[in-house]
Amino acid sequence: MIPAGDTYLLSRSEQRDSHTIDVYKRLGGYKAIEKVLKEGIAPADVIDVLKKSGLRGRGGAGFPTGLKWSFMPDKDKDPRTRYLAVNADESEPGTCKDRVIMREDPHGLVEGCLLAAWAMKLDAVYIYVRGEYRKPYDRVQQAINEAREAGLVGENILGTDFSCEIHMHKGAGAYICGEETGLMESLEGKRGHPRPKPPFPAGFGLWGQPTTVNNVETIFNVPFIIERGADWFRSTGTEASPGNFLCGISGHVERPGVYEVPLGISAKTILDEYAGGVWKGRKLKAWIPGGSSTGLLPADLIETPMDHDSVKGVGSMFGTGAMIMLDETACVVRASEVLAHFYDHESCGQCSQCREGTQWLHEIFRRIEHGKGVQEDVDNLVRLSKQMAPGKTICALADAAAIPTLAVVKHFREEIEAHIREGGCPLKASRAQEVHA
Amino acid sequence: MTKITVNGREVEADPTKPLIAACEGNGVEVPHYCYHAGLTPVGSCRICQVEVQEGGRPPRVVVACRTPVSEGMVVNTESEAAHETRRECLEFLLKDHPLDCPICDKAGECTLQDYTYSEGQAAGQSKEPRQNFEKRKDLGEKIVLDQERCILCSRCVRFFEEVTETPQLTVSGLGSRSRIETFGDRPLVGNYQGNITDICPVGALTLKSFRFQARVWNLIKKASTCGECSRGCSISVEVLRRGEVKRIRPRYNEQVNRWWMCDTGRFATDAANPAERVSALQRGYSGLEPCELDDAVGVVRAAHGSYERHAIVASPWVTNEEGAKLAELAKRLGATPMFVSSPANDLKDELLHTGDPCPNRRGLEALGFEAKTPEELAELLAETETALLFGERVARLLGQETLDALPKSLRAFLFDDAPAAAPALRIVVGMANWVERKGTWTNIDGHEGKVQAARTAPSGIRQPLALLADLLQTESVAETANGGANAR
Repeated sequence: MIPAGDTYLLSRSEQRDSHTIDVYKRLGGYKAIEKVLKEGIAPADVIDVLKKSGLRGRGGAGFPTGLKWSFMPDKDKDPRTRYLAVNADESEPGTCKDRVIMREDPHGLVEGCLLAAWAMKLDAVYIYVRGEYRKPYDRVQQAINEAREAGLVGENILGTDFSCEIHMHKGAGAYICGEETGLMESLEGKRGHPRPKPPFPAGFGLWGQPTTVNNVETIFNVPFIIERGADWFRSTGTEASPGNFLCGISGHVERPGVYEVPLGISAKTILDEYAGGVWKGRKLKAWIPGGSSTGLLPADLIETPMDHDSVKGVGSMFGTGAMIMLDETACVVRASEVLAHFYDHESCGQCSQCREGTQWLHEIFRRIEHGKGVQEDVDNLVRLSKQMAPGKTICALADAAAIPTLAVVKHFREEIEAHIREGGCPLKASRAQEVHA
Repeated sequence: MTKITVNGREVEADPTKPLIAACEGNGVEVPHYCYHAGLTPVGSCRICQVEVQEGGRPPRVVVACRTPVSEGMVVNTESEAAHETRRECLEFLLKDHPLDCPICDKAGECTLQDYTYSEGQAAGQSKEPRQNFEKRKDLGEKIVLDQERCILCSRCVRFFEEVTETPQLTVSGLGSRSRIETFGDRPLVGNYQGNITDICPVGALTLKSFRFQARVWNLIKKASTCGECSRGCSISVEVLRRGEVKRIRPRYNEQVNRWWMCDTGRFATDAANPAERVSALQRGYSGLEPCELDDAVGVVRAAHGSYERHAIVASPWVTNEEGAKLAELAKRLGATPMFVSSPANDLKDELLHTGDPCPNRRGLEALGFEAKTPEELAELLAETETALLFGERVARLLGQETLDALPKSLRAFLFDDAPAAAPALRIVVGMANWVERKGTWTNIDGHEGKVQAARTAPSGIRQPLALLADLLQTESVAETANGGANAR
């Protein structure tokens, strides 16, 4: 059933006690860092391998990782302290892939951090974990402790003069702290208010020092690539988006969960082959390709290949690859209301457009869903969304609220208008019936 | 300096400052709320949108307060795209704003009003209920916060963080539930609170002393200098039509106070509006009685002509111009001019307040005046036959105790803005105070601050310079037989 292809990201997670250093080492862990240190592979060469591999960030934007690492200033010319901040504040609705990595294979993340520290000549690594992730936090902390005892974290790693400290930090539950500059502010002990860019983190990051921010899954991919090579990595996925990714699929499916699939696989394959299809044999109505911030797509686009360029091609975004499925009984207005509420709640409140706009969108959706909508509301949704995005605010949260709104109106205008015409949700009656049946 | 083009005009721009500073510095106003030249730009209100073209790339709309200037940059603040983005931004800012402009103290100098007017956002589109927050949040002795009017520019927060370095305010809550609060709901403290009401672009932060006191367009504003300490901050004295000083605000002065002033100076409005004014009083059988001003002056002149040992005591509020005349009079009388050097008070701080209550100490010293404490003066005056106590506040600075202790045999003449009584006082002449006269004060750093009349003195109250001119008239003694008799 599962298409042929090497699964590597989740290969160890199936094993008992996969989170311990013994199991990790037995399954070939810490080979990449050993190879780099023992063979003395130059930092620039490590970055070169990453560039050749074509690994793209898994946190949502899909920026080429090797390129991002090469933005760090030359250590000889700029001797400032340098940091990596690992973004483990996984709070995008629908996304739950980093949790699996941190819980089941935390040493992979630790090894990735070490490689990053070597390649970018870092002084320290911070892992910013979402506050609600207690178990993953404990597992990564345990992994760091074990690695330290094994001489893999701290001073003089594996007897060489390479040193790297890894610090853990627990967030307090704000979505905005997953935005890279908000994350840095939060790490510094301030409110998680995103910073205007420029200056970019590579020049002015944590405490004003050069900093790179990477997603957990991105860092987790690094040891595999360094150990097995760029060509191996390119053997799956597409030309522009190579490798496998962790797809968290949720919503109205038979078997929601996190699956490892190659980039470029069609969304329909993931839905049918992995997640067991739409639940209760119902028909698909709409789906969100990459977390709630990416625009919703109608069912007829379910054949879209899941890679950065293809999803962009149909007017949405690959995002974190977290697909949310809505079946034929789902109300897109209700779904939009829930999501608009989320963005209203999580906007940091700095930028006028986002602070007021997210709340405004939420109010309009709520009104329409509750049968109090008026005809202008649909146009207002479009007008306000266009006033909020793209790129009109400090960070992308306004875009995340506005772009899905535009998608909903584009694909489901008729359903929204039906709500307004009929004074409420036309699907509500059928749903109520079903609950009682 | 970097060369850029702003609205078709080539100008020089400071590369260390954001684009908005280059625009403002060249007379091109860009709407802004969160940006303030004295604070770190945060780029959060998003209204300072301008169209920028650099390096052959297509034009794009950016926030001017967070965009660095680059050589050859072409800026258009009036492009349709820039206006459109600003209009959009205003719509969001006005969504929850209560629009209670008719009763808002900021109305008339509110930039939310101004930019809404200039950008032409005529119709509000929101039908949602406006959010309710606290409308009268007491922030301590001096300030009231209206959280509904607030547009969350965070200038006040940054003021306390960056200027006084005593963080007291914060934005609490997330998103549309954000509001300004003090830490732990404690009242604001410190001597610089009033500044946050100046920098508040809307009517969210208002002074209790100015709440519902005046419509700002009825205030007549005059550039002047503060006299509460020797810093001499540049200020604007604002007078209501009927002559009452309603408000004192700082005026930008790069060399002295930049944008700020302390609350001691700001709330000096009571001293500027004395309850009691007198033209002239003369000691008669039943104490000090009203008399003709010319007679009173005549008495002083006669005394100056009749006695040998004279003292000239100036107030440190005497301007350089008045001081020069006073010094001339002292020279003629063979006296050493002195001024009341009040002891330093405990208001001194790192920012502006010098703790020295003598606004023109340096100016008077340069004119040859000797600084004497009230105690020293009490001793010195006991040795003389006449004493001319001249200048605004001189009686208050000497202290009632010192005045009362003056020997009755001394012929003491008080020329002050407000009357005082003491056994030794033979003549009391009222005169214009610092909001009614003009001149200069030399501050602690040698900067000359201009004092200007914000209103005319009440009838019968003369200018100190005019009184000094009278006192300096030489043919005085013979003419004033009557006054001279009384003085004896």
